[in-house]
Amino acid sequence: MADEALELLEENELSLLETLDHVLNRGLVIAGEITISVADVDLIFLGLNVLLSSVESAQEAFGKRGARSVIDDLNRDK
Amino acid sequence: MKLYAYCVTEELPAGSVDSMPGIDGAQSFLIQSGNLAAVVSAVDVERIDVTREHVLGHERVVRGLLSMTTPLPFRFGTVVDEPELRSYLESHHSSILSQLERVRGCVEMSVKVIWDLERIKREASEMEEAEDPHGQHQATNQSGTAFLAAKKREIEGASLLKERGEAVATWLMECLGDSVRDAVMNVQPSQPLVLAAAHLVERGQLEEYRAALGSAREARNELHFLTSGPWPPYSFTNINS
Repeated sequence: MADEALELLEENELSLLETLDHVLNRGLVIAGEITISVADVDLIFLGLNVLLSSVESAQEAFGKRGARSVIDDLNRDK
Repeated sequence: MKLYAYCVTEELPAGSVDSMPGIDGAQSFLIQSGNLAAVVSAVDVERIDVTREHVLGHERVVRGLLSMTTPLPFRFGTVVDEPELRSYLESHHSSILSQLERVRGCVEMSVKVIWDLERIKREASEMEEAEDPHGQHQATNQSGTAFLAAKKREIEGASLLKERGEAVATWLMECLGDSVRDAVMNVQPSQPLVLAAAHLVERGQLEEYRAALGSAREARNELHFLTSGPWPPYSFTNINS
């Protein structure tokens, strides 16, 4: 995993992923009253591993262009 | 009227959260119960959709409380009516108080460690070859012995990964030493993201914690660290329902 890709993850995605992980996956639960369930799924592992895989795949696919231009492309497509 | 519950804190002065807009911009207010207070806002639905705005709204209120006290956050999506909330606060009074005592004056710091999984697997394979230099385990026939040998290698490989993963977690805790009051660690040795750790750190110890973490990062440049915080103590709310 290239550091460049990880730095991009930190800039673009980590903050939101961390927030999702904390807010959705942890905290006090009043029995029977929680209206969403993400039990048994650790979102930070799920989310980050998916991101890590997708950035690696993108790098393999786009080769020397580097992660920055790939992610710029992805952002333009949104 | 339904209430969306954000967090529980020790008793707060009335009006403390008046300026904190919650989910869908609704005004937050306090439900006091003895020496505890729940921070809530009114909602007119039974279920709150998981949207970016809602998640950030929840976090905004809980984080706002962090600047005046140490809150115990509810998990996203906690919609109750007032009698249910009061009943919860009364029936869990002592466990909530002891949990608040545990986190008082602290924040949560998050550390994720990513390792080069392919390299670790290669090393495991090389170690295995060193132990079996004649390649006896690489029998090409499909005999029961070959099958069992392959199974054994698979188990040994997973066991080595697990050992390595746990060693990363232990090493990090040793590096951080007394700057951490408590920790929750999740080790997943079969993944690139090998360790997710939440550290409970006293606010006065944050500088020491950051310095210790900085030294740890420098010592192991083959690992990649993703750090964030301070957070409200989301990972330290283990009260049995």
